[in-house]
Amino acid sequence: MQTNLLSKVTSDKSRYMSDKINHPELCQWLDAVATQRNKQAFTNLFKFFAPKILRIAKTKFPNEAQANEVVQETMTNVWRKAHLFNSDKGAATTWVYTVMRNVTFDMLRKIQGNKEDNLSDDIWPMAESMSSEEESFNDHLENKQLLSVLEELPEAQQEVVKGFYFSEMSQEQLATHLNLPLGTIKSRLRLALAKLRAQLGENS
Amino acid sequence: MITHHPKFELIQLFVNGQLPASLSAAIAIHADMCPKCQQQIALLTEQMAEVSFEEDSLQADLEQSLTTDNDSTADYSTDLTDEETLESLSIDDMVDAITMSDELAQTTVAADKTIIYQNENYVLPKTLSSMTLGKKATIGKLSRTRIQLNENEVRTSLLQIAPGGGVPEHTHKGFELTLLLEGSFHDEKGEYVKGDFIMLDSSVQHHPISKDGCLCYTVANDALHFTQGINKLLNPIGGLIY
Ligand SMILES: [Zn+2]
Repeated sequence: MQTNLLSKVTSDKSRYMSDKINHPELCQWLDAVATQRNKQAFTNLFKFFAPKILRIAKTKFPNEAQANEVVQETMTNVWRKAHLFNSDKGAATTWVYTVMRNVTFDMLRKIQGNKEDNLSDDIWPMAESMSSEEESFNDHLENKQLLSVLEELPEAQQEVVKGFYFSEMSQEQLATHLNLPLGTIKSRLRLALAKLRAQLGENS
Repeated sequence: MITHHPKFELIQLFVNGQLPASLSAAIAIHADMCPKCQQQIALLTEQMAEVSFEEDSLQADLEQSLTTDNDSTADYSTDLTDEETLESLSIDDMVDAITMSDELAQTTVAADKTIIYQNENYVLPKTLSSMTLGKKATIGKLSRTRIQLNENEVRTSLLQIAPGGGVPEHTHKGFELTLLLEGSFHDEKGEYVKGDFIMLDSSVQHHPISKDGCLCYTVANDALHFTQGINKLLNPIGGLIY
């Protein structure tokens, strides 16, 4: 059963990063929650995700109160952890899915194993995916499409991005290596990432 | 180089959150060392998210396929539209309650946990940092520490083999997973290195030996309750595991 489902899904990846979901809009809302604590944006996210989360939770939990708790917990974590969302790393749907999956995992473990150890954050760390932005970016960089986007950046920005993400040099090391002020490295990196983000946003 | 990876089905269950903590942790640790599996996990997560949150027949398929595994949900309906479902949730109250606190989740990275076996100091993977360890038991060149995950028949341990030691020849009636955290060992089939994810079922008989010593993370079950071995495990909601 699982395999059937998946073969359908894997058969055409791009088809499922589809127009059925307005990804840029979800992404904007999540960013607005993260950066401005925007309640309206959160309400929009809630209206989009909560019913879907509830339906999925109902398939996993024997009673409605528990399914409701999954919605409550997941959406609370979306509010409280929005700053950990990194649009470079993937779609808002993917991020909310992981939040929901983790809440569900911990709750099932609590119900079935009687353990309140909340291991999901260790198994699927969110904080780390934030702090090791380099790594996740490396994965992205393996993607040819992204490489071509990178090639379109001005030389000076490319140099910084490649040094930072491919050679894993710190911003300080890069400043020394390229003989530039640290501030310049920082602003070039920021500019380059903003451009990449915009490009990738269009593509996803 | 890592040559033993979790099977696709296991990775899929991992992404869905349907594996027990013991095996989920094993896959997470393996993926931290294996870019190939890491990439597969990222891709599958993206796909699962897309399938879960889009509103067409695929969504219904997914729910149906999940529901068929779980009899207890049969008594309440899941075929409502978003609007109907929203009505059953008191949005404004929930949103107000959630957004009342402006506190951000603090994300702390746990300090490295280390363990010493026979004068050898090992840093444990971060994935294991919240897990409770039992007492150490040492027999000859073998040392074992149970990891207390409360998963009934499924037992999770750290197993250290001191240089020149080995595990006496054995078969397992259920399954046995060995994930190499440090060092290497070999058996009749070949050499295994750090990061290798070795899943054996009852048909395998083996006798691992470690020339230079190693530390493994192991998960095994009791055959009595899992007569179909790995297949039973792969039925995510069916058994005692989940
Ligand atoms: Zn692998």
